[in-house]
Amino acid sequence: MQTESKIRAEYGTDSGPRGPGCSLRHFACEQNLLSRPDGSASFLQGDTSVLAGVYGPAEVKVSKEIFNKATLEVILRPKIGLPGVAEKSRERLIRNTCEAVVLGALHPRTSITIVLQVISDAGSLLACCLNAACMALVDAGVPMRALFCGITCVLDSDGTLVLDPTAKQEKEARAVLTFALDSVDQKLLMSTTKGLYSDAELQQCLAAAQAASQHVFHFYRESLQRRYSKS
Amino acid sequence: MKETPLSNCERRFLLRAIEERKRLDGRQTYDYRNIKITFGTDYGCCVVELGKTRVLGQVSCELVSPKLNRATEGILFFNLELSQMAAPAFEPGRQSDLLVKLNRLLERCLRNSKCIDTESLCVVAGEKVWQIRVDLHLLNHDGNIIDAASIAAIVALCHFRRPDVSVQGNEVTLYTPEERDPVPLSIHHMPVCVSFAFFQQGTFLLVDPSEREERVMDGLLVIAMNKHREICTIQSSGGIMLLNEQVLRCSKIAGVKVAEITELIQKALENDRKARKEGGKFGFAESIANQRITAFKMEKALVDTSDVEEKAEEIIAEAEPPPEVVSNPVLWTPGTAQIGEGIENSWGDLEDSEKEDEDEGGSDEAIVVGSVRADAGIEACSVGSQDAPIVLSDSEEEEMIILEPDTNPKKIRTQTVSAKQGKAPSKQPVKRRKKKRIAN
Amino acid sequence: MAQAAAVAAQSLAPGKARAARTVLDQVVLPGEELLLPEQDAEGLGGAGERPLLLNPGARSRVRVVCGPGLRRCGDRLLVTKCGRLRHKEPGGGGGVYWVDSQQKRYVPVKGDHVIGIVTAKSGDIFKVDVGGSEPASLSYLAFEGATKRNRPNVQVGDLIYGQFVVANKDMEPEMVCIDSCGRANGMGVIGQDGLLFKVTLGLIRKLLAPDCEILQEVGKLYPLEIVFGMNGRIWVKAKTIQQTLILANILEACEHMTADQRKQIFSRLAES
Repeated sequence: MQTESKIRAEYGTDSGPRGPGCSLRHFACEQNLLSRPDGSASFLQGDTSVLAGVYGPAEVKVSKEIFNKATLEVILRPKIGLPGVAEKSRERLIRNTCEAVVLGALHPRTSITIVLQVISDAGSLLACCLNAACMALVDAGVPMRALFCGITCVLDSDGTLVLDPTAKQEKEARAVLTFALDSVDQKLLMSTTKGLYSDAELQQCLAAAQAASQHVFHFYRESLQRRYSKS
Repeated sequence: MKETPLSNCERRFLLRAIEERKRLDGRQTYDYRNIKITFGTDYGCCVVELGKTRVLGQVSCELVSPKLNRATEGILFFNLELSQMAAPAFEPGRQSDLLVKLNRLLERCLRNSKCIDTESLCVVAGEKVWQIRVDLHLLNHDGNIIDAASIAAIVALCHFRRPDVSVQGNEVTLYTPEERDPVPLSIHHMPVCVSFAFFQQGTFLLVDPSEREERVMDGLLVIAMNKHREICTIQSSGGIMLLNEQVLRCSKIAGVKVAEITELIQKALENDRKARKEGGKFGFAESIANQRITAFKMEKALVDTSDVEEKAEEIIAEAEPPPEVVSNPVLWTPGTAQIGEGIENSWGDLEDSEKEDEDEGGSDEAIVVGSVRADAGIEACSVGSQDAPIVLSDSEEEEMIILEPDTNPKKIRTQTVSAKQGKAPSKQPVKRRKKKRIAN
Repeated sequence: MAQAAAVAAQSLAPGKARAARTVLDQVVLPGEELLLPEQDAEGLGGAGERPLLLNPGARSRVRVVCGPGLRRCGDRLLVTKCGRLRHKEPGGGGGVYWVDSQQKRYVPVKGDHVIGIVTAKSGDIFKVDVGGSEPASLSYLAFEGATKRNRPNVQVGDLIYGQFVVANKDMEPEMVCIDSCGRANGMGVIGQDGLLFKVTLGLIRKLLAPDCEILQEVGKLYPLEIVFGMNGRIWVKAKTIQQTLILANILEACEHMTADQRKQIFSRLAES
């Protein structure tokens, strides 16, 4: 209770566009909006927006062929300029997360390609990329062990925890932590952090991310139910 | 990935339909598909949809030194990317002929037509000018990339605001958007490309060809024009012969289409400006159609984080406390060391086998000195920790000491290879070295 | 607080497997666990719904087939694709469960009838693009009446309506255009006219369902020839180009319409 009131108090002074308490920004998702890829989704978290397209299981280059599972590829494209080291490292994080949930063994010698395009970056970009990738994979009908979601949280200089931060909050933060969690038992699939934090704070962030993931998975379910409402 | 091949029956059907002046999506010959323009929250960001073809445009700017021969002109840079998202056949990182052709056409349409006043982008002549960069990303390819890209480029340029600057002497001050309102670019006119696809050696023509129509067309004529009916660039490709009246007719049609598109662009810009001014909602989230069943929105959600502290405490309390003692580093061979329990180092093994070979060869120079237990290893490491790179070979005596692991139990064999003095007592070289380092 | 609790209750909580019967025709998501009814009266305690024991024990077995989108993991039944859970009850046993999803990419399945495009002729086989991850092979002898002397007339780019005889994840798929008696049975090269277009796999299944009214309605509009491929391709031919185009557009539009909306559209078309 104490924490909550503390967080609320902190937030009240900020008087930002977001309400009091630890909250997620508004979410929006549109699936199957591109005609060419096998699956596509655009995911918005506040002003952050990512578009994802998935091809698969499709033909694979002989050089990349794996005899007992699908070759998973993630391409992340920045909005300005050419992809650099930051994009490569994010691609890898996303690829490893997807690898953990996609049942690649069902489609050996094929490729599953996820192309992500940053539409606008206003904080929590990696989390938004993960969410867009998940919805696009679902849209493409790629078999998966579970759904997954990305949650970013930051720790302020005074240790206040903020979920789904904006770009400004990310910049001012002491530590930025991004987690990928699965939908079956909210287990950690991937985590990447920047900055300094104690192990107690790490566990706090993780617990908060798990609480937030419930909302994201709920959002997934609602939007998919709507999508299949006419079939 | 390969493109799905076009079957003979599709080709035949398309051509026959064109002869009968029918199009797959029910359009007339001169009809454009629906154009939808949406803006992002950032300035200079837009998505243009031409039917199912989608292009994302983003303009950015940077202060750079000008080109030597154009000291008072800003720099315009265009870059269209065909990402694999748009079509499976577009491979990442490959400059295809199509991409080069499209980029060149865009440059001719927008830069060479001088639609942007590049002189107004000069900050300090010969020293600092603005470089305006237009990034265009094709998101979905359903034909007529160039028209969609040219619309996206000009819309993004019109929408863009650059930070205000002031010059005092040689000092250039950049203002943040909070300090001074960013300024728009000065745009002389708005060129827009209009594509005409020709079939049956130019007998039939279609405006705004779709992807399937592009696959069966014989040639393509692109006319870039502004609303004053000034032709900015014209390009015919595919090797068809056109009569001059055909080209004239196309330019007339282009004039009409450009007027329509320009009006649409201005309306879209006006709407966005209004929304921003009134402080209403804008950005891509607002442009998602609510009535679509594939789309869903959620208002911001409060997350109950009241128990995170307790949870964290619980987990930490339950977790095994991390070992307080930091294990001592172990030195295996020169240049490799290890802290804690890790992967067995394979360097030592290699060395071992090599040495065995040497032994078989009857080389006497490598001498295995009696087994020294772990304490020797620690000693050797303390040498390392005091003086980071453990290079023991640069001694004056030309003496090399190699500490080697034995598999199990952990034994460290000290091997001394010496040119002058063949044999050395067991522990002595290590100790001696240590003393020397301390003395240093 | 109350909201959060409600969310938690609806979420995919661990160990909160739902009974397959209660979620029939509802949307299921990857990762969910399903429980099949224990039909054995001698079951332990007769607790009703309990995890199906797929490994045959002493109790009598109930044969349940898990179709696309479902996966057996140990003795649990897990969902791997998003869509509506469907069930079909055959004569005896537990029937077939599968997930009806709206995907676009086709994965070859043995016995499926598909429309392919011939992409190459190499030696005595044709390579046929079916939209899967690799082209299917089709022997030139796999046509009705074909012999070594009497080769079928197939060109690159032609459309083939055929059936898979070999289709599994580890092998190149193989098609034939004859049934087990050597008859064409409707299969073979599709005519040179008509229009080919692509729809989602879900729509094809919907159109081919025995209780689907769309085909009958479409048939009332114009006389037509139509071929459905399970790989999401439809070939249609009517008397005129105009009619063919109308038919193609109607079928494409059926994707996102409810039965009532479809009825309205068809009645409006029949009037005009």
